[in-house]
Amino acid sequence: MKLSINNEVHDVEADGDTPLLWVIRDNLGLTGTKYGCGLAQCGACSVMVDGVVTRSCVTPIDSVEGREITTIEAIENDPVGKRVVEKWVEYQVPQCGYCQSGQVMAATALLRETQNPTEDDVAAAMVNLCRCGTYNAIHAAVKDLAGEKGGA
Amino acid sequence: MKKSLLTVLGVIVVGAAGAAWIATRAPSSSFDAVAASGAPSDDLLAHGEYVARLADCVACHTTPEGKPFAGGLKMGTPLGAIFTTNITPDPETGIGNYSLADFDRAIRHGVAADGHRLYPAMPYPSYEKMSDDDVKALYAYFMSDVEPVVQANKASEIEWPLNMRWPLAFWNVVFTDGGVYQAKTSKDEMWNRGAYLVQGPGHCGSCHTPRGVVMNEKALDESGPEYLSGAVLDGWYAPSLRNDPNVGLGRWSEDDIYAYLKNGRNQHGVVFGSMVEAFNNSTQFMTDNDLKSIAHYLKSLPANAESTDVAWSYDPATADDLSKDVADNVPGARTYAANCAFCHGRDGRGKNEWIPPLAGVSSMLTPQAESAINVTLNGSMRVVSNGVPDAYRMPPYREHLSDQQMADVLTYARSAWGNTGDAVTAEEVAKLRSHTDPASIDVIILQMR
Repeated sequence: MKLSINNEVHDVEADGDTPLLWVIRDNLGLTGTKYGCGLAQCGACSVMVDGVVTRSCVTPIDSVEGREITTIEAIENDPVGKRVVEKWVEYQVPQCGYCQSGQVMAATALLRETQNPTEDDVAAAMVNLCRCGTYNAIHAAVKDLAGEKGGA
Repeated sequence: MKKSLLTVLGVIVVGAAGAAWIATRAPSSSFDAVAASGAPSDDLLAHGEYVARLADCVACHTTPEGKPFAGGLKMGTPLGAIFTTNITPDPETGIGNYSLADFDRAIRHGVAADGHRLYPAMPYPSYEKMSDDDVKALYAYFMSDVEPVVQANKASEIEWPLNMRWPLAFWNVVFTDGGVYQAKTSKDEMWNRGAYLVQGPGHCGSCHTPRGVVMNEKALDESGPEYLSGAVLDGWYAPSLRNDPNVGLGRWSEDDIYAYLKNGRNQHGVVFGSMVEAFNNSTQFMTDNDLKSIAHYLKSLPANAESTDVAWSYDPATADDLSKDVADNVPGARTYAANCAFCHGRDGRGKNEWIPPLAGVSSMLTPQAESAINVTLNGSMRVVSNGVPDAYRMPPYREHLSDQQMADVLTYARSAWGNTGDAVTAEEVAKLRSHTDPASIDVIILQMR
């Protein structure tokens, strides 16, 4: 099966029901995307599929054939993603860092869809879990991005 | 005067004698005169094992941690709890001393070897349609290939006088059809095989046919319009298997039904609730021909006459509006986006056949919301197909969502994408939450099926 990941087409040998996360990490060695709960509950495995945030642990690969998948490794090739990472550095968001690639994905997908999200938009989109409790730093960074002049 | 009194007395005596005869007689078996034969052939044993799969004996006669067929599973009845029995060939605690005729009386007539009547939690009203060949093979399998287990049966929790069993003889007179399945010459072979499997060993009606006031299934074959028309049991709604477009199988093809029973999934849905057990233990082991026959038979059942459903069709508006609904605080929309959409999709279509859609599925269209609530509270059981457990499973949201949040998100999903299910109330969720909490005093235990 052919999967387009970070603008590169990979020929993957796996069953159609294999979770995308397994293929990304085990077959392709892109380990920036993390395994958290395996049940779409925590968001650590978030990637973007055609720009929409998607939990790769519950995404069978045959459902994303022919679509463009973006992982954390290529997030800075996206202008919005680049700014998100810059703000993440500026606000020193990560602590242990395990959930952060998912957090960056969620923030990037939000800002791609809504340039100037409201508090409610942010609350609805930023639902990934963080065991360290970096929520305040995430909130500050996203709020900064949300208020950027001319949109993010 | 004296003469008429005598007549009345005579009628009473004869009536009482007749009633006593019905209540205590052992029904005849077609195997009464059959002598015990020698060692069974491998073919007969293989056939018997297959019949045990068809009849899914293991589902009720085994506890999750127990030995196969040793019984002990608790089942609820309106009168009190009963326990399934040890049907391994242990002579003391199981059925090791049963003759073929004794076995037949238990399977097809609901009478144990010691003469006591079985409760119709044992689906003998269905099993009585089983052929002599199948019963004979099943007996051979249980006697030769099932490992004997010493495990005494547990006494039922039904108290005197309701624990007297003889009135069941009269129940049987009224509520069983009496007789092995007779092929209908007006129908083809495939239809007849399907009808036999569905009505007989498969006992689909035990869950899918509504029951009357004395727990009788309201119909035992397609001659009754309520046959397989859907019923609530054990906190799950077993949907209609008739051809209603929304609450039944109207939009499923025969191939769809075949795939569902063979693989546990198709584009319309994935087995969940009690059907997981039926799939894991029974339907996936059936031959292709048998599964196709079942599909063929089910597709011949007409929709309910009173069904005025307009067939569901997909409405993309919900998917387009989800972000707006979240922003507008439409009840349930935010919960859906944060908890459900990652798997079931913003468009409600699921992910191929691996993760079921919510758009257009019967649990989102039926007036009965039990299945939708139960699977959200408690998640789904492990579906094991060909020995491989499923990669994706519904997690339980019991600890995650309040009654009101769950009611809101289910109401949202049951009205999204063209779905027409009724709203769900927090009270309904609270009730099922309590009934399915193992720590609760009023927890649901397996009912008759």
